[in-house]
Formats: sequence, C-alpha cells, structure tokens
Amino acid sequence: MTMAINTASSVPTNTGSADSSAATAGIPGDPEPTTSFTFGELLSSRTVIGQTLKELGETHDNLWVLTPDIGATLVEFRDTYPDRFVDVGLSEQACVGIAAGLANEGNIPVVSGMLPFLSMRALEQVRSDICYPNLPVKIVGTHGGLVGNGGSTHYAVEDLGLMTSLVNMTVTSIGDPLMVGEVLRQSMSMTGPLYIRLAVGKKDKVIYEPGSVAVEIGKGITAREGTDLTLFAHGETVSQALEAAEVLAAEHGIDARVVDMFTLKPIDADLIQRCAEETGRFVVVEDHLAYGGLASQVSDVIADRGLRLEGFRRLGIPQVFAGFGEDTELRDKHGYGLQATVDAALAVTENRPSACANQGSAA
Amino acid sequence: MAATIIRPETDVSELEDLSYDLREKLLLLCGEYDGSVHIGGDLSCADILTLLFQYGMHVDPQDLHNPERDRFVLSKGHAAVCMYITMAIRGFFDYREIVDTYGQLGSAYGMHPCKVQLPGVEVSTGSLGHGLPLATGMALHGRRSGMDHRVFTLMGDGETGEGSVWEAALAAHSNNLGNLVAFIDRNRQLMTSFSEERVKLEPYPDKWRAFGWNVIEVDGHDMGALVAAFDSLPDPDSDTPTVIVCDTVKGKGVDFMEANLAWHAGSLNDKDLQRALAALADGRKAA
Repeated sequence: MTMAINTASSVPTNTGSADSSAATAGIPGDPEPTTSFTFGELLSSRTVIGQTLKELGETHDNLWVLTPDIGATLVEFRDTYPDRFVDVGLSEQACVGIAAGLANEGNIPVVSGMLPFLSMRALEQVRSDICYPNLPVKIVGTHGGLVGNGGSTHYAVEDLGLMTSLVNMTVTSIGDPLMVGEVLRQSMSMTGPLYIRLAVGKKDKVIYEPGSVAVEIGKGITAREGTDLTLFAHGETVSQALEAAEVLAAEHGIDARVVDMFTLKPIDADLIQRCAEETGRFVVVEDHLAYGGLASQVSDVIADRGLRLEGFRRLGIPQVFAGFGEDTELRDKHGYGLQATVDAALAVTENRPSACANQGSAA
Repeated sequence: MAATIIRPETDVSELEDLSYDLREKLLLLCGEYDGSVHIGGDLSCADILTLLFQYGMHVDPQDLHNPERDRFVLSKGHAAVCMYITMAIRGFFDYREIVDTYGQLGSAYGMHPCKVQLPGVEVSTGSLGHGLPLATGMALHGRRSGMDHRVFTLMGDGETGEGSVWEAALAAHSNNLGNLVAFIDRNRQLMTSFSEERVKLEPYPDKWRAFGWNVIEVDGHDMGALVAAFDSLPDPDSDTPTVIVCDTVKGKGVDFMEANLAWHAGSLNDKDLQRALAALADGRKAA
C-alpha cells in the first residue's frame, strides 16, 4: 500500500480531543505530496519532520525552527520561511534559551537537534527557561537510545528520566515516522513544552497501517491485542515488541498485548490499570536505562494505584556505558533485544519464581 | 514607535535622587526582612536599573503588554529586589507590598524574579548566564517582525563566566541584533573573591569587541555618563548589538559595604541599618 505522507488521510487519526482537534483537520491548500511510503517499509522521520514543519509553517505564522547545526533536513522550512529559521551553530544552551526568548514573545519554537546534547547540555535551560514559565517550546531530536553507533557520548539513554522529571514537560518517544508528523500537528495547540524522542531518524519502520490507530498525546496505543501479558514499549522497541509477540504466538501459544506507550508523561495510567486487570503480567522493554524510563513510569502507576501483578520485568540498558556496535547487537548484548524480550515474556507467563525480580541491574 | 516614552525630560539630578531613593528603600527592606538580601550586587546595579526604568526604557506600568514596549531581562536574577523596588518607584508595584511580603509564603516577590507570579516581569531568571540567550531570542523576534523596540539585559560580570553567555554573544552578532543592549555590572567581585584574583576577565571590553559587539565603557555610578551612554546607543534597526560595560563597586553608597566580600549578601540589624542609612544620606548630601 502506497500513500502520500502529508495528506491528512494518510496519517493515523487521533481521537479528537479538544486540544488536538486542529491537528487532524488537515491543512487547507496542502502542497502536492512529494514523498510516498509503503506500510511496513522504512521512512525517514527526519523527512517527515521537515515536511510537517514546512506545512505547519504555512498556517502557523508564529512557528519558528531552531537548530544547533543539525539542520540538513530542515532546509524546506529554512528556504520557505527564512525569517523564522535560526541555526545558532554548536550552541545548545543558547539555542534553547533563544527559543525560550522567542516563545516569551508569543511564538511556537521547535528546537531540532541531537538529543544527547539537547537533553543534557541544555538541561538547565530546558528546565528553567522553558518549563518554569511553561512555554510552548518543542524539542524534537534524534539519537534516542543506543543508536547511530556513535558511542556513549552520542547516545541519549538518560534523557527520558531527565525529561519526565521536569515540571510541565510532556515527554514522547516515537517509533513510527508518520506519528512524528501527527504529534507535531497536535502540539501546535499545546500551551506547554514538549519533548519528542526519535531514534537515528533516517530509516524508521512504518509500524501502523495509516489511519488504523488513534494517535493522541497522553494516550497509549494498543498496537496488538492480547490477553496473556502486556509488552510495553516506546520508540523503536515497539517494533521489536511486535516481533516478539509474533514469536510468542507462533512458537509458544502465548497471546501478548503490545502497548506503544509513546507518551511517557503524562503516562496513560488508566490504560496501564486496564492492562493489569486484563493481562496480569507486564514486560517493559525500552531503549533507555532500565531505571528512570518507561519501566519506572509504569512502576509508579502500579505502586500508586495498588495494582496487583503476577509478573513484572523491565528490559533496558543496565548501568553500563554501552560501547560500540549496531543497535540490535547492543540490545542483544545488554539484555533487551528480541530474544530477551521473548524470554522475559515466557518467564512472567510461566510464573517462574524469578518472574517478579528485576532483571536490569539495580540503579 | 508608539510605545510610551516615560520620562524624556528627566534630568540627571532627578535620576540621581531616584537612585538614592532606590538604595534607601533597599536598605530599609534589608532591615525589615528576616533573611539574607543580595545587598552588595543590588547596590552596584542600582544606578543602572534607575537609568533603565526611570529614564531610558519605553515601558508603561499601565500597559504591560504593549507589543512596542522595550523589554528587560534581569540576567543577574539575584538583584530581583533592586528591580522590584525601582519598578515600584516607577509605578509598576507597591513598595509597601514588596517590603511587607518579600520572601514570604504566597508572595510574588522573592529572591529571584518569576514572570508567572509577577506580571510586569518579562522573564523568570535566577540561574546565571541565562539572560543573554533569552534576550537574544526576544530581540530576534523584534528584528524579524520589523519592530523597533529594544531588548535590554543586565548581567553581572561574574556570570559572564558561563559559556551560555558567549554562545548567545555569537548568536546575537551573527543575527545582526542591533536592537539588543546588554549592560554589564562590572563590579569585579564574585561571591567569595575579587574576580581578577580568581578569574581574569580583563581585557574585558576587548573580549566583547572580539565577539563583534559595539562596546561602550562607562562609570556605572556616574548618572550623567550613564545617560550619555544610553543616548548614544545606535538605532535599534542597526546591525550590531551593544554592550555597555559599567565600571561599578559592589555595595556602592554604603561605605562599610563597598568592595567588601562580607556584603555579597546579608541582613541588617538595627544598628547596621542606621549606619548604612547615615552613610547613604552623607553621600546624597555631598552629591
């Protein structure tokens, strides 16, 4: 199936909350689609971002795009709206501070760059200049998790823990490249800050049949129904969790539900509760440190709501600097790859004595 | 330019008087407040803030959101109380309310300014080195929108040790922000040392020149010189950001606080308050 990515009908629809209703209305007078995709094929999130921002720039004349020298895929926006584009060079702190200054003047700034640096080097600017006054600055970036083979200076593996800690910050991690466009559209009506995490963003799998799932910031997506356990994931590990669910079904007769918890904050606690009640067993798999990310968010809901589970496992990066290697190799090496996900699902569903123990290294 | 020009006819001696009023009100608050006040760095920038709020900036306390108003970012956020009081003198806030509630639960007036809690304050600051990037973003908006107001920021010299300051200095120069004006309160003191002993900032104005900025050097306690410097600012639609390096003294106006590391911050007992007020009154008489 081949569809254009920047027509309103080609992106997953949302559920039409008041805040996001404008996002699905489509943009009148959309330019002709220039890129097409096929369900299940690979597509660049960065391309989607570039096209979406250009499109949104047409109807939001206060939309600005800023980057610390990571602007290659923003050329369409830059060339179309040069007065609302800023490349500050290698200055992440100033980039976020300048974005805050622009937001202070009533603009909607999008800061695009590499997340290891935006989430850490500019963390205090994010917290004090954006979150404190609750400004609508969006931080969208690449290299979330052990991707890109850049080594540990270039992996954002603490970012979700840092960002979910910040007051007023909404935190997302997105696997399906088409969802990035949808989340950006929805974010235009948000009053506060937003963090959007991607993997490398050059070749991302289109996970969902366009139009088949509701994308709404703050709501998890049930990517696959199932009754024996729930696999929670975000970003690129959603695809891996879906593969694991196929293996579990085909080889073990286990019916795994897969939830794409692409919004880590605010977390969809009602969905977590429903999954607890309906499946009773959880495995959380994420390309992030095993503590501080989604598993910790889910654990908080379990504790706060007094949910009872028969099994819980968290799969993620243990307390190591991960080293070099391809992302799938690194996931296998550090215990949260496809096979580890299948094994964890088997462990919790078989009610092994060890099933309730934490698998990741203690923080 | 439609924004209100506040006091175009104000003369230098009136401004000097207002600056003494500001210092006096600061000391009285410091005497009443049961906690520490950044009195040293407040006193070093009192003349600069008086220049901005009582003379130079196009702002109107009755019209806080006029898009053509000049903007001010207090980068040295620990001088918040000095800013609150000079704004009160200008008519933004009620001085008595500041003194009566400062630092207390539920008050909008605290150690570092918060725009959400106190309308009239443009940005929330406190952590050092944040003001110039924020002001740069605000100036960028003004420039690209074709507006001709200015964006001012006041930095302490010590905080320009933060790398983010120089990142923004590059960005402001690169984006031709002639509508951006930075004041530096060059009091040469950090919290625990005299800066040149620990951090060699000199040749300080040359550093700004090297970053492409228009540099004005002035005695930060000479109101006539400050006014002249302000009046010599290039047009807001020019292409080069300006920094006004103000040579100042921490604790200025109170002899026992001047250039004294003990008075970065503190509180005043009755005896010290009377001594401080007397020193200030002597200065006013001599002026």
